[in-house]
Amino acid sequence: MTDDTTSTASSAGARTATASAPAAERRSRMLEVTGLSAWYGEARVLSDVSIDVAPGEVVTLVGRNGAGKTTLLRSVMGLHPQMQGTISLDGADLGRRSADARARAGIGWVPDDRGIYASLTVAENLLLPPVVHPDAWPIERVYEFFPVLHERRDFPGTKLSGGEQQMLAMARVLRMGSRLLLLDEPSEGLAPVIVQRIGEIIREIKGQGVGVLLVEQNVKFASTVADRHYLLAQGQVVEHLGNDDFTAREGELLTYLGM
Amino acid sequence: MRSRTVQGSVAIAATASLALAACGGAGGPQSGGSSKLTDDKVVIGLLNDQSGVYKDLSGPNSKTAIELAIEDYKAKYGDKAVANTIEVVTADHQNKADIANSKAQEMYDRQKADIILDVPNSAAALAVATQAKNKKKLYINIGAGTTALTGASCNRYTFHWAYNTAVLARGTAGTITKEGGTSWNIVYPDYAFGQDMNKSFTKEVTGAGGSVGESIASPFPSDNFATFITKAGEGNPKVVGSMHAGGDLINFVKQFNQSPLKGKVQLAVGLMFITDIHSLGVDQFAGTQFTDAWYWNFDEQNKKWADRFKQKTNTRPSFAHAANYSAAMNYLEAVQTAGTDDADKVVGTLEGKKINDVFLRNGEIRKADHAVTHDVYLAKVKSSAPEEWDYEQIVKTIPAAEAYGEANPACSMS
Amino acid sequence: MSEFIQYTLQGLAAGGFYALSALGLAVIFGVLGVVNFSHGACYMLGAVISAVLLAELHVGFWVALLVVPILMYGFGVLMERLLVRWLLALDPLYNFLLTFGLTLILVEAVKQRYGVSGLPYEIPAGLGGQVTIGSVNLSVYAIFACVFSVVVCVGVGLALTRTRIGMIVRAATEAPERTRALGINVGRWVTPVFGFGIALAGLAGVLAAPTRAITAEMGSNFIIVLFAVVVIGGLGSILGAVVAGFLVGLVEAYGIAYAPTYAQIVIFVLMALVVLVRPSGLFGREEIA
Repeated sequence: MTDDTTSTASSAGARTATASAPAAERRSRMLEVTGLSAWYGEARVLSDVSIDVAPGEVVTLVGRNGAGKTTLLRSVMGLHPQMQGTISLDGADLGRRSADARARAGIGWVPDDRGIYASLTVAENLLLPPVVHPDAWPIERVYEFFPVLHERRDFPGTKLSGGEQQMLAMARVLRMGSRLLLLDEPSEGLAPVIVQRIGEIIREIKGQGVGVLLVEQNVKFASTVADRHYLLAQGQVVEHLGNDDFTAREGELLTYLGM
Repeated sequence: MRSRTVQGSVAIAATASLALAACGGAGGPQSGGSSKLTDDKVVIGLLNDQSGVYKDLSGPNSKTAIELAIEDYKAKYGDKAVANTIEVVTADHQNKADIANSKAQEMYDRQKADIILDVPNSAAALAVATQAKNKKKLYINIGAGTTALTGASCNRYTFHWAYNTAVLARGTAGTITKEGGTSWNIVYPDYAFGQDMNKSFTKEVTGAGGSVGESIASPFPSDNFATFITKAGEGNPKVVGSMHAGGDLINFVKQFNQSPLKGKVQLAVGLMFITDIHSLGVDQFAGTQFTDAWYWNFDEQNKKWADRFKQKTNTRPSFAHAANYSAAMNYLEAVQTAGTDDADKVVGTLEGKKINDVFLRNGEIRKADHAVTHDVYLAKVKSSAPEEWDYEQIVKTIPAAEAYGEANPACSMS
Repeated sequence: MSEFIQYTLQGLAAGGFYALSALGLAVIFGVLGVVNFSHGACYMLGAVISAVLLAELHVGFWVALLVVPILMYGFGVLMERLLVRWLLALDPLYNFLLTFGLTLILVEAVKQRYGVSGLPYEIPAGLGGQVTIGSVNLSVYAIFACVFSVVVCVGVGLALTRTRIGMIVRAATEAPERTRALGINVGRWVTPVFGFGIALAGLAGVLAAPTRAITAEMGSNFIIVLFAVVVIGGLGSILGAVVAGFLVGLVEAYGIAYAPTYAQIVIFVLMALVVLVRPSGLFGREEIA
């Protein structure tokens, strides 16, 4: 979470484009969540949440543990049936479509536990999901971009280090060709140099017009990659900030998040 | 006490015939006969396994056998029949002692059964014996093998009609040992019946001058006997005895036939029914020796009855079917003789009675322990069946005295 | 020593058969999370159908080995479509009870139709007799059954590791939700996998027909042993089921040889020990987060 210089430089363009982010008009909204409420049994974990993500935009969800960030990602993915509200992708309501249909429509989920299969090799982990979009990365490109995955392609997926598993999880959705990535705490528990690498990957895919909804507790890291930020507390959006405001109020936000 | 009962029954029989005579041909026996019957009718309860392992051996077809007895009784006595209304009620005890117990109670109390017949499965059989004793109602067991029915659990109202484990042991173990099969290994299922059989067989083998090298207990039930069979072959015995029944027996024999013992060691089976041969096929059992209480194709008399049975059931009778017929018939005869269905009086006419019928040859209802002794048969499974169900060749008739021995000393009639 | 070898070979022979019989149970649990109590009844149906085919249509063992699994696959598909599917979303206990009830129905139906004494079946031509090497003896049929079982287990293993369908089944077995989130319609694979598991049960039944009593109750005791096998191997683990199958066969044979009275308990003692040391079984995944 150090070494801001390179990342700031490469994401400068994106940042200027959405400098006045919350108010700015975004013509094409890739993901649009409106009035989302979700429950676990009797407990309400999300109340009337509305957020959106445009193509080529990185949006973070920031909040304490239990604020409902992961539930929001799961709801978008179609894995949390106890919800109300509408979720649409490229203008089409996802309604009650199943998780696999959503994945084929272009949503790629990278869960916080990376979701690597122990019973599949690295290569199989990559090849398991179907290719859903013409812009999907061919396997050669994946291996070129992540040489370590090529090197270890015949290892069981979970024999990789934490950072490598994170690479694998992200590479998997890129190979699939997902247009909207749901990244759940990709930097968690990883060494700074790996976190930096993940930042580079995010900027790379952003440049290809992929939208990213990023759940992150690492505020510093979030500020190096994101265009806008939603601050979630007790299941509600309490703040919506452009990256400049976010950077400016970093200290305050850190205190608020208890970090 | 006993003489008084006999006297009483004779007196009643006399009165009954007087009454019958008084009524003449006109009125029929209603006025005379019915007054002697409890509830104006005789109710025969058939309590057996209608759905489990003994269903084919006895089961629902035993009701047909009992109905044949009723038919014969009515044909024999016509208007003079004391029991002119005879009902048969049936129940399934599912081979469980507790169910047998409550069904027996229900039969005696609610369904007004005067007698309960059959009751295979030793635990169930003993439960019903206790009910019979308490309710002072008749009970003729056919299907169970336990010697306790005529031993520790014997009582005034309980009779054991067809066979018991000691008879099987004398017939099979005694005969085979005497014919030169002197060294045995025995495999038995590890529950009351199997342990009982193992003891009886060991006693008879030793008594006939042979020896039992090893007695191996197998879990009950069991599917895989391969290693048990290997173990049973150790020490090169002349005979391997299987004390299993039902599915276990079939598993054992199938796997024995695939083992190197086949053809080298004689297989003797403790308890086998014709239904077992039918289900496995004669070729699998070919040459196996066992003791049978009755065989349908033994002589003309048996065959004739078996033909009648087949007309109604489309199958050949097992010994249990024939024994149910015999028991029902002799019970009705006893009611006829006693002129009443009063249990004590019927017991009086049954005790000590010598019988020869389609099932019992040289039969006697032994007064001391209520074992119904009769000739039994050492059978050998044919190598091929001339017709369906024609599976047994009777090697030897074992006279009643030899098969049953002395009355069970453990029995004290109270 | 030769006795020990004899028992070992007998244990392995039985073990191969256990492995094949437990395989379908493991496959179904792995993908559907259903503890299929009716596996024993389907095994019984496989044997009964073989016997009926032989008696009524003169269809022999070799053809039955092919036809019966196909019939049972159809039966499994029907069972999944009509019954199991509707309870998948609920607690797994519901499907356990459903398949338990189905077992009672199947067993009673076979009793009603074919009686209780069992049905005859012959050893297929060429598979009778024994093989003797030194003082060690094994029945030809037992060797055949073991080799056949191993071939089927290896075939299923290869299909699982070398094909795309196998990859999907492994992924769905490990993490059904995540697999759906990666764009795979896991539900579409549920019916064929269930049918396949039932077909394996039926195949085990055909294999049992020449050597075991074919009765309505033949699966009722057997299913308990199979449960022990899959628990020892690790619920849902296919490799585990195979290894545990052989282990149980061996332990059972040694138990019979050296402690006959405890032969059947030994298997369950083994199961208890394995579960105490490794609650998820020998090859079960440890994390259940």
